[in-house]
Amino acid sequence: MTFDWSVIWDNRWRFIDGAEVTVILTVTTMALALPGGMLLALLRLSPIRVVSSAATGFVEFFRATPLILQIYWVFYVLPAAFDITLSDFTTALVGLTLNVSSFNSETFRAGILSIRRGQWNAALALGMTKWQALRKIVLPQAVLRVLPALASTWVSLFKDTSLVSIIAVADLSYVSLKIRSETYRVLEVLTAMAGLYCLMGYPQAKLADWVHRRLKVAE
Amino acid sequence: MAVGPGCLAGKLASRVGADAAPILAFDGVAKRYGTLQALAGVSFQVNRGEVVCLIGPSGSGKSTLLRCANALEGIDAGRIAFDGVGVDDKATDVRKLRRRMGMVFQNFELFPHLTVLGNVAVGPVTVLGMQRNAAAARAMDLLRKVGLADKAQQHPAALSGGQQQRVAIARALAMQPDVMLFDEPTSALDPETIGEVLSVMKRLADEGMTMVVVTHEMDFAKRVGNWVVVFDRGQVIEQGPPRQIFERPTVTRTREFLSHLGWHGESLATEAPLVERQATAGRDSFEAQLIPTGSGGHPGADAP
Repeated sequence: MTFDWSVIWDNRWRFIDGAEVTVILTVTTMALALPGGMLLALLRLSPIRVVSSAATGFVEFFRATPLILQIYWVFYVLPAAFDITLSDFTTALVGLTLNVSSFNSETFRAGILSIRRGQWNAALALGMTKWQALRKIVLPQAVLRVLPALASTWVSLFKDTSLVSIIAVADLSYVSLKIRSETYRVLEVLTAMAGLYCLMGYPQAKLADWVHRRLKVAE
Repeated sequence: MAVGPGCLAGKLASRVGADAAPILAFDGVAKRYGTLQALAGVSFQVNRGEVVCLIGPSGSGKSTLLRCANALEGIDAGRIAFDGVGVDDKATDVRKLRRRMGMVFQNFELFPHLTVLGNVAVGPVTVLGMQRNAAAARAMDLLRKVGLADKAQQHPAALSGGQQQRVAIARALAMQPDVMLFDEPTSALDPETIGEVLSVMKRLADEGMTMVVVTHEMDFAKRVGNWVVVFDRGQVIEQGPPRQIFERPTVTRTREFLSHLGWHGESLATEAPLVERQATAGRDSFEAQLIPTGSGGHPGADAP
């Protein structure tokens, strides 16, 4: 078997465009899923039963079903059932954001619950409202504490974006698989794809590790 | 303040601040955790300007009572009135009452994400809506008062336990409270830093601050306290001026509790041995502050 690596070089701009879409999708999803996750976490901790139950149901649904199904669902069901038509990119963004928000909400919730009662008491004893105590005292500590977990989610998300290729969003996976089917250079293309994901993913994973270590020392 | 022998008669005759309505009044307070009766009908009062010390074995309900006093925990029966207002009444704005009650916790509970200055200023800014500059100025004054102005920009984790507790006292004082509640403020401290916290508390007492102190520091209760309330199993078993409680306790269980801690009536008759004991325990700074002025002084209590 002979290899023909020229196929990679010839298609370099398509690979780079695909990688760009992957990065934009990851960053945008996280930018939306951080506030989204925080909102869901606060709703889950609400003393109003209906609110917390609804949020819990939402979160558990997205945690318990496969991401690929959620993306399909947004792709097919939203237009059909609710007459909402989104671009492919937006569809992917909505699917990923709903999913990652659910995971982030669990992370935030765990962080909030990990702050000991005494910190609440100290804030309340100063005369703060519960909301002030949450915003000024509990949340800043909780967020700091869960940063390593959020960093892990980030790295997973970066790789999970590859699933949006099933609805023809031109991310790195979609582009790579397309080039493969055009050229039949399976090994070359998949190797290049792996190389690109690794090139981008490795520094992120290292950064996540660094956040882990850094905050462990600070605790 | 002074508890020298000459003051004894006057001490017994009238309680500090007894001429006015009490600032805090506990009346038949009961609280239950599941099957545990944490408080079983506790009644006593705190007058303005008084230092009331709550003593007794661990788990006897002292700390629980303190948390009930500013509604961090609810009560099942009885009534707690702060300046005549029922703490547990439905119509009461609990936050308004809490602003007027400073609370100091056993584990300091400083806010680790804020600087020392931020810890002291956060109450005035958040709760009183004070301007940042004004709150920072007030915070600096208080840090100076507790001797920690140089630590203003540090984070609490960089401070010793005693320093953290002094910051916590400054944080509570920043709200300019009418009463300070201390929940075992020195129990989590290394012996060598206990003195610095006690001396800050002593100075507060000298300035006339009304204080309720849950403590195992019997020296402090005896010398700084005006009134001592003895708890056992969720009940007040005895209360009175320190001289009475420490030298002539009328209740057997009080005697047992005190002798368990190494206190005996006869050793309290003279104060010199205590001073030596404290000094050797590294509580010099407390001692230096503790010498009552104008009451004849204590032999052998020269400041180092």
